[in-house]
Amino acid sequence: MNIEWILSNYGVLLPEAVLTLFAFAIILIGLKYRSILGYLAFVGGVVSLGLVIMNFSVNATLLYNSLVFDPLSQFFKVVFLLVTLLTIIASLRYYHGNAHQGEYYFLLLIATVGMMFVASANDLVSLFVAFELGSIATYVLAAFDKENPRSIEAGFKYFMIGALSSAILLLGMSLIYGITGTTNFTALSQMSFEMSGYTLAALVLIIAGLGFKMALVPFHMWAPDTYQGAPTVVSAMLAAGSKKMGFVAAFKLIVLALIALRTEWYMVFAVIAVITMTYGNLVALTQRSLKRMLAYSSIAQAGYIAMALVVVSYTHVDSVVNLAMGGALFYILSHAFMKGGAFLAVGTVGYMLLRDKIKVDEDDIDNFSGLSKTAPITAFSLTVFLFALAGIPLTAGFVSKLLIFSAAIYGGLAWLAVIAILNSALSLFYYARVVKVMYWDKPKFDLKGEPTAYVVAVLLALLGTVLLGVYPGPFVDVAMKVAEVFL
Amino acid sequence: MALMDNYLPLLVFFAFGILVPVGTIIFIRLIAPRGEYPRKHIPYECGWLPIGTAKIRFNVEYYTYAIVFLIFDVEALFLYPWAVSYKNPLITVPNFTLIACIEMFLFIVILLIGYVYAWKKGALEWIR
Repeated sequence: MNIEWILSNYGVLLPEAVLTLFAFAIILIGLKYRSILGYLAFVGGVVSLGLVIMNFSVNATLLYNSLVFDPLSQFFKVVFLLVTLLTIIASLRYYHGNAHQGEYYFLLLIATVGMMFVASANDLVSLFVAFELGSIATYVLAAFDKENPRSIEAGFKYFMIGALSSAILLLGMSLIYGITGTTNFTALSQMSFEMSGYTLAALVLIIAGLGFKMALVPFHMWAPDTYQGAPTVVSAMLAAGSKKMGFVAAFKLIVLALIALRTEWYMVFAVIAVITMTYGNLVALTQRSLKRMLAYSSIAQAGYIAMALVVVSYTHVDSVVNLAMGGALFYILSHAFMKGGAFLAVGTVGYMLLRDKIKVDEDDIDNFSGLSKTAPITAFSLTVFLFALAGIPLTAGFVSKLLIFSAAIYGGLAWLAVIAILNSALSLFYYARVVKVMYWDKPKFDLKGEPTAYVVAVLLALLGTVLLGVYPGPFVDVAMKVAEVFL
Repeated sequence: MALMDNYLPLLVFFAFGILVPVGTIIFIRLIAPRGEYPRKHIPYECGWLPIGTAKIRFNVEYYTYAIVFLIFDVEALFLYPWAVSYKNPLITVPNFTLIACIEMFLFIVILLIGYVYAWKKGALEWIR
């Protein structure tokens, strides 16, 4: 009877449990057999994804209300698992025969488990522990190609900045606990705060700590170096998955728990969102390294998503709040496909250069000249991803921008929407430049065929990007339904 | 004034903490005999004359032991509060003992997997 009780109560933990089990199996099996590890990790991810989707509309709390399982958490878990699966498929080729595959897939799965727990956290303590689990694993992943000094630099920078941001975040959390005497989000959301220096300090520290993870502008310095130096499959994971961990933490901690302070963080986020998108787009204009360009574009996209936080803090109308948060969620889902796909497509080219023993910088824009002839599938997919990031119709990027921008307009923040639209127009320049190089310039290198695993991963991301753009209805409905948590 | 009363012991403690080392240093200065001779400037190596230079590369292998030890040390630390509370009659959560036992079991198994991994990777072998 006890066992049944445990299963009925703890059953919601199954996706995480399965993933953890697979991770441990992988690291132990990896001591002896290496060839099956990637497939094992893939199976683990698929099973976990299936379990999450089966339990999508669950509503449960665990461990004295420190973990919550609701559509919001399940939505983010789906995003994290999709990104991880894409990364695993591409890694099947990139880390084929690598001596440390066991550790790689182990860290990848454990990072995903950490992110999934962040999505479920309903308490400052569980949020922080999960946040660290998700972060520490990715620090190691960023430095995984240890023969490559750039990768070491990426991991080192990421680790230093990440550790600093964790300390800042923790200080903010401890101040919140000191003021309110509770660490629980549900309890926090029902508090009425007295505005004081402590509250303000706590809020600033929390925004700064989470801002590092989300790569919002004053806290973005690590992102370009890390995304450029890390192995490209890992960059895809970092930009498309790990960054969303910061967003779900921000949604939970700032929008759900500290909603009483909304007037205080309105101005902060308005300024941050505007400078983030503008700075990201301006700096991306001059990048020659494609991974760096994608990193800056990723910063700009974070600015667009942060607009939702501005709208939520400004307006009190339920329908607009729902539209803004639903838009942000849809943006996060489509960004996972667009950005993950773009990084994987860039990684495909990097891998082909490495395989054909052409010694150049792996992601210089010159490598992409004439790619439409040497690697047509990659070139076409990258084109779609870049146009999606710019927000061209019939792609996921268009629908997500439409939702967020219209939320800003309905919320009475037309100036913000105008700035964002101008930014989108600006961003089209550097995206289109890559497309021009790929389709109109002469091929520079003779590349011999596209690697299957990469192509599969890129095509899956392409499918997601196009599906969300052409047939967004049901997905928008789901995002709106999920966003009702914030009302 | 009540506030001052609360903090007075702390203040005394603090003052004493500063006074003792500073006082000792001054006291030694006052009474110790001083003499300058060349051997005084040789690095102290437990009474022996120094051999070779100090700027050599040395093995840092010990750190893997330190890490593995640290993990199990922290595990032991976690076991204490658990052992005190898992059968605590004051906790009225249903099935608390069972949950606590399963959780601790999982925790130890996870550490054990790490231990097996470290062992198989040769972290416990001393290579010279």
